[in-house]
Amino acid sequence: MISSRRAPRAGAVVLVLLVVLAILAPLVAPYGMDALDLAHRRAAPSWSHWFGTDELGRDVLTRILFGARISLAIGLVSAAVSVTIGVSVGAVAGYAGGWIDDALMRVADAMLSVPRLPLLMISAAVLSPNVPLLILLVGAAGWMETARVVRAEVQSIKARDFVTAAKAIGATSTHVIARHILPVVVTTGAVATTLAVGRGILLESALSFFGVGVQPPTASWGNMLYQAQTTMSTEPWLGIFPGAFIFVTVLCCNIVGDSLAERASHL
Amino acid sequence: MLRFIARRAAQSIPLLLVVSLLVFALIHAAPGGPLALYLDNPNVRPQDIERLRHAMGLDRPLAGQYTAWLWSFVRGDWGYSYADGRPVGARLLERVPATLQLIATSTVAGVVIAFIVGILAAVRTGFDRAATLGAIAGISLPVFWLGLLLQLIFANALGWLPSSGRASFTGGGVSDLAAHLILPATVLALAHAAGWSRYLRGSVRQALAMPFTRGARSRGVSERRIVLHHALRNALLPFATVVLLDASIMASGAVVTESVFAWPGVGSLFTESLARRDYTVLMAFLMCASIAVVLLNLVADVAVFALDPRTREQP
Amino acid sequence: MRRVALSVALALAACTNGDARVGASNDLLIVGYDREPDTMNRYATHILEDIESCVVEGLVTNDDKMNVIPVLATEVPTVENGGVRMRADGGMDVTWKLRPGVKWHDGRPHTSADVKFTVDAINKGDWKPESTDGFDRIASVDTPDSLTAIVHYREVYAPYRLQFFRGTLPKHLLEGRDIDRANDYNRNPLGTGPYRVAEWKTGEYVLLEKVRDYWRGPEFPKINRILFRFVTNTTTRINQLKAGEVQMVALVPWDKVRELKPVPSLRLNQVLGSGYEHVTLNERHFPPFADVRVRRALAHAIDRDLVVGTILDSLVTTVNGPIQPLSWAYEPRVASYAHDPSKARSLLDDAGWKAGANGIRMKDGKPLSFTLITQAGFAIRENVAQAIQKQLRDVGVDAKVQLIDGTSISTVWFSGNFDAMLHWWQSGADPEVTLFFAGDRTPPAGRNINYFSDTALTKLLYASDRTVDQAKRKQLLSEAQVRIAELVPELVLYNTSKIDAVPATLQGFTGNPTNAGPFWNVHEWRFP
Repeated sequence: MISSRRAPRAGAVVLVLLVVLAILAPLVAPYGMDALDLAHRRAAPSWSHWFGTDELGRDVLTRILFGARISLAIGLVSAAVSVTIGVSVGAVAGYAGGWIDDALMRVADAMLSVPRLPLLMISAAVLSPNVPLLILLVGAAGWMETARVVRAEVQSIKARDFVTAAKAIGATSTHVIARHILPVVVTTGAVATTLAVGRGILLESALSFFGVGVQPPTASWGNMLYQAQTTMSTEPWLGIFPGAFIFVTVLCCNIVGDSLAERASHL
Repeated sequence: MLRFIARRAAQSIPLLLVVSLLVFALIHAAPGGPLALYLDNPNVRPQDIERLRHAMGLDRPLAGQYTAWLWSFVRGDWGYSYADGRPVGARLLERVPATLQLIATSTVAGVVIAFIVGILAAVRTGFDRAATLGAIAGISLPVFWLGLLLQLIFANALGWLPSSGRASFTGGGVSDLAAHLILPATVLALAHAAGWSRYLRGSVRQALAMPFTRGARSRGVSERRIVLHHALRNALLPFATVVLLDASIMASGAVVTESVFAWPGVGSLFTESLARRDYTVLMAFLMCASIAVVLLNLVADVAVFALDPRTREQP
Repeated sequence: MRRVALSVALALAACTNGDARVGASNDLLIVGYDREPDTMNRYATHILEDIESCVVEGLVTNDDKMNVIPVLATEVPTVENGGVRMRADGGMDVTWKLRPGVKWHDGRPHTSADVKFTVDAINKGDWKPESTDGFDRIASVDTPDSLTAIVHYREVYAPYRLQFFRGTLPKHLLEGRDIDRANDYNRNPLGTGPYRVAEWKTGEYVLLEKVRDYWRGPEFPKINRILFRFVTNTTTRINQLKAGEVQMVALVPWDKVRELKPVPSLRLNQVLGSGYEHVTLNERHFPPFADVRVRRALAHAIDRDLVVGTILDSLVTTVNGPIQPLSWAYEPRVASYAHDPSKARSLLDDAGWKAGANGIRMKDGKPLSFTLITQAGFAIRENVAQAIQKQLRDVGVDAKVQLIDGTSISTVWFSGNFDAMLHWWQSGADPEVTLFFAGDRTPPAGRNINYFSDTALTKLLYASDRTVDQAKRKQLLSEAQVRIAELVPELVLYNTSKIDAVPATLQGFTGNPTNAGPFWNVHEWRFP
């Protein structure tokens, strides 16, 4: 519970800033995306290279900015996928009830029983996904939590008197859904999306860290860590900075999402 | 009660069947495969490869392979690892003790941290804000990054602790094991304690707001006793179930941590086998991990049900 | 409570870490090995045979100069010394004379019956030897006396010298048994070598101990015990080496050499390898590669010296052909393609590839754009691929780099489903390269994954296979190397050096460029 407004506001600002930087990466980055400089490899952070250079002499800051495009895109779109599936499944299950609800929840339970990261790692290893397919995989692995929450909410609304009353005077199901259920679901969806972005970024970075996510030479924050892990003792900046960006981004998502949830629960 | 257990257990079976189908289909959709190891060797001829393909049973139709595999799995025959030809069950089993060591230590440590932080956060608002921020930071940290950082600081820079592995051959003994265990256990403990402390905090606060605490206060019971005895007792059971229900996340965390620290448990076996597409090991791992999760969830459900008969599943 | 435990553990750890560093001595040498053997049977294992070769010796082996030298044989049979005779029916007979006085570790003598048994067992085919190359060309083996084995080949087989590189299977132990299930042999093989298996703790280590009456004499081997600890994770293995928990690591990855150079207790031994890295150009999948001008242009576009000097820290040497400098068949006087971007550009212009709008060359509306694949998980190779990409871009060629995991990549190249690949071949000691460059040896018949065909070259290669006269063979192979360099079917980059990290005080260690491995002369190693 973050009762103060400062933290979530700061978090939101940071997120927006990151997204803007990512979009503007080609303009803002100090060097070209593929600019190799074999003569200045593994340089420590300096004025010409704020975050140093990597094994091929590429500027780390530049790679982080271009990597932001990939990592943030994966986070955002996979979150949209997760939440769309989750809201749909949860709403249908909660509203329909009966065997449909049972079946859908069994599927959710099955997917929740399998440890998520190992399952994703195997899937990614087997399918060798490009970025769009990776987004789908990560998205398809994260709908269950949202579905459960939405289902519970829809059930509680459905049971409320005013819905029964509305139906008694002849309102169609569609009308009930649109007027009463959807607004609440949208709020839940917003919270879920924010949190799902953070989760998606963490999942992609874990997959890339183990070499089954975004493949080099395309940069993502996760695969920059994959390339850095063997040189942590000699060139620690290669691992510290990408990881810090992952951390800060996910932290902001969680802070913002948390405060949204707080405010939603007071509605 | 037994009927409840039986019903819940029965529901788990189709669950696991779906899981097994998913895993099997996934793995066999891939190019490459165990024979690929041989293709790189110029001395291995096409006839040799065909011979090996047949010996490994890869030339049967897919559906046949699946049913054969499932039936063997249920009977305890998990096939042979393509990496070294040894039975998969043996390979997994010999790594289990190391993983149990790691998980046990990190769970205990995580619970202790969660308790301290959670209770303090529940009773002191000043600490609460910081603790919540810390908890959110904890769940936002990429586990492997935290591992790399701790390795960098404590092993590489300061040299206090070994950076990876479980034991030195010439060392041995409890202190050596402890030294190797500290970093990976800390990483896992912190990762879990973040969520657990928040949960405990919420739980304790809820309990503190209940009528019986007001009753206790009015009877003159000390605040400390109220928190530690009454509120905590009510919060303990839900907390324990939360820990159990986190089993799936713990499995994922173990895979990452063991790999970063080369801790020789089933988690690092998973990543090694992944790199070599050692399918039999991967499938057995996923099945066993899922079964473990389902069992632990079952235990948690039963515990909740048994100790509070008013609790019912949501219809 | 936890804080107290932590500080106690830290204090203890500080002590323990120091004790972990144990000096290597003639009593015990600890090797950090990257994988556990699947079996100790040299014919069945599909990984390198370092550990096995300490126990089971071959009739011959390769020394550090890639020469074939006799071990359990008294000499290497050749045409000159009468050991090899051609038959009128086109076959050949190779006579192996075995060294007298060699005993298996159980005391029984090593005889020609073991040689015959080995051939018969492998050709019977009822178990799973990893590779049977050459054995299927043997019609029969005669054993006129216990120290002579005459091997009758159906046809001329040029690599005959290495036929028994892996040694022999003991007849008295394995006759009539299912060799795959002979776990006593596969876990603890009976050999003639300087060591035997004392203990194999699955998942952890193999401990070898010295044999009392090794045939070379009582003064060999010097080191009493060798412990091979299995440490699969490379970073851990190198860390343990630095900390002194293991004392030796073979085949150190090139990107770890930097970390190990400053360690005073280690010596980094470097030898030229018997393999080389190159960029395969698949003409079938990407037809523009069929034009020799394009291939030559690509060769000129790459700055090999820069790549070797920077990414590879000068740990390897540039070479110009598939046969490596240490081989007896090596021909140094071949065409070499220096880094010359302007030459590259003019060649591409000649070939009809004109500069396009975005800098990529075009011809008939198609861009000179292809995918360069390489195996994932090798940091240096990934970097080399990206450096090559940039250098090609500079002359208007677009190469997209794609990483493929180690297991899938074999299927990809075996099926020919790629444009270009940054790859390496690890050759055996025999300089046969027919299966890589003969026109009719595209997969599955061979490894010609350039899908390249030149009649003259194919003829030369097959002719060289069919002669056992070393001088004649060298001449044919020289011509073949000249032709290969002229036609550039692939872009040859550099030789893959082998770097081993050994204790600085270890004497007698030489390393070995071939698959004989660094333990080829383990009996000579000693500490002062």
